[in-house]
Amino acid sequence: MVILEKVSKVYNEGTTQAFEALKEIDLHIAGGETVVLSGVSGSGKSTLLSLIAALDKPSSGKIEVGGELISKLPDIHASAYRAKRIGIIFQHFNLLEALNVEENVIVPLINSGLKTEEIRQKAAKSMEMAAISHKASQQVNALSGGEKQRCAIARALVHDPELILCDEPTANLDRANSLKFIEILRSLHHMGKTVVVATHDPLFEGLPFVDRVIHMEDGRIVEPAGAAPSADLTEES
Amino acid sequence: MQNSAFFHFLTLLLFKQRSKHIGAVLISVIIIFLLSSVLFISSSLQYSLMDTLEGEADFSVSRIQAGKAVNTPVEWMEKIMEINGISGLTSRVYGRYFFAPRERSFLIVGVDLFDEQNSRQMQKLAERLDLKAFLSEESMLVGEGVKKFLEKHYYKSYFTFKTPQGRFKKVKIVQMLPSQANLVANDIIIMPIDLAREIFGISEDEVTNITFNVPNDAEWDNIVAKLHLLFYDVRVVEKREIKKAYENLYNYKGGLFLILYLVTIVTFILILYQRYSMVYSTERKEIGILRAVGWSIREILKLKFYENLIIVLVSFLLGVVFAYLYVFIWDAPLLSRIFLGGANLSNHVEFVPVVKFGLLGSIFLFYAVPFLAAVLIPAWKIAVTPPKEAML
Repeated sequence: MVILEKVSKVYNEGTTQAFEALKEIDLHIAGGETVVLSGVSGSGKSTLLSLIAALDKPSSGKIEVGGELISKLPDIHASAYRAKRIGIIFQHFNLLEALNVEENVIVPLINSGLKTEEIRQKAAKSMEMAAISHKASQQVNALSGGEKQRCAIARALVHDPELILCDEPTANLDRANSLKFIEILRSLHHMGKTVVVATHDPLFEGLPFVDRVIHMEDGRIVEPAGAAPSADLTEES
Repeated sequence: MQNSAFFHFLTLLLFKQRSKHIGAVLISVIIIFLLSSVLFISSSLQYSLMDTLEGEADFSVSRIQAGKAVNTPVEWMEKIMEINGISGLTSRVYGRYFFAPRERSFLIVGVDLFDEQNSRQMQKLAERLDLKAFLSEESMLVGEGVKKFLEKHYYKSYFTFKTPQGRFKKVKIVQMLPSQANLVANDIIIMPIDLAREIFGISEDEVTNITFNVPNDAEWDNIVAKLHLLFYDVRVVEKREIKKAYENLYNYKGGLFLILYLVTIVTFILILYQRYSMVYSTERKEIGILRAVGWSIREILKLKFYENLIIVLVSFLLGVVFAYLYVFIWDAPLLSRIFLGGANLSNHVEFVPVVKFGLLGSIFLFYAVPFLAAVLIPAWKIAVTPPKEAML
């Protein structure tokens, strides 16, 4: 599903402030896998997700997603790739504050060519999956952190993407909401989605549905771990 | 289908973010309102003046001595009549009567009511004028400004003029001229020609000026040359010169406002540009989010273009409609004074609705294009930024 070959990313290349965020990353993620990228802040996890999402371009190397070479896509194709194939959940949710939950959820489908009614139906299904239907007409600036995250999840799922990228999804959530989020991830895994989570939250370690935990340090993959241990961290009573 | 979802989202965004746009709309409406008001007033005044001038004679001839206009001998009319191509030869007696206590003046126009053409014009100007009653005793018709001024000074039904010989002449005010004629008739007094002669001390063998028409305008320059040959001390004023003078006057006043408008719109556009370029503005984050969830640069610019086009159209329409109401329904209370100048007598003019769509279109372009550029250029700059940076 996702293939990275010798991918590097250098910021401010050619200047005295050049910084190598990723150093020759080789990574294969199979379809349907749930992978956790773990590491401290600055290890390159978010940068790696950005490149997979075509939000940025690598300085060198090759990135393929579902057989499509995305490392050198022009903007219009990169946008179409994100609109059709990727769902992104951000650390800070990145919702449009002026709109309500349903309106935020439908944003990825506005230019999809679907009719308004079809878009509404997809949004309803997606909100149900994220357990946020009851807040559909609520303004997002009136939601709690956990609710905002679920709204972001609904938005990320509305166009039924094959690959879901989560960048520090629980960084702004309390433990209860973090566990709820993990439950949603479990459902996505069971649906056969490919999920990549960049996080340094220890809650993600030892999850049974996580296929691999990849440790990153200083822009490199340090230890591509095997299957997760048997501990089952569901919501504690 | 796609467009329906897009425009539904567009109107939703506009409605939900209306407070963001209210400032720009308000300022735009004010600018367009002012400029359109100026345009409407200027066009209406020009139209009214040109319409009035159409009824005027093509030529006006008077005598000058030492560069000063003096009374014109009536015998000139016989010589002018001999020139080929001339028609409608008439003499006029008029002048300014100075009301010393308030340093105001009235324009007294003497009319020969036994002249058919004059009589017809009078009937047109003063509706339902009883000519017999008018001629039975010494009477006058007055413009609205004169009427109000005289009433203020307790001259309700008559006024006493002082002649150059020191005699007093009491004249009855028969009727007020219609207020629709205020543009040209506000400070006018119309009276029989003999009465006017008496008030100004003009003898029977003199007039103020002589007017006539020349139907063939190719002959106009010839006629002027012939007049100068006939009389060494003649001053010839052509109607086309008066028209041009008025056009220049209104172009000048309109030009002043255009400069003011340009300065205002440039300032406004710069402020708008600054606002949309702000590093941490909500627009920046909004565009970054749209990019992150799969909107292309083109789709974002399309959204911003239509969003602001609607604002531009609404502001423009509101500004023009308010201007139309202000000028043509409420007679432009403050702005009209600027165009009517330092009037001798206070003047209330009703503006004839004249709308020049070509000029309105130009105003729209001069407003819409810079406005859209000021918004779209920063939006484009943000849209081409990597979405991660834009969302920060």
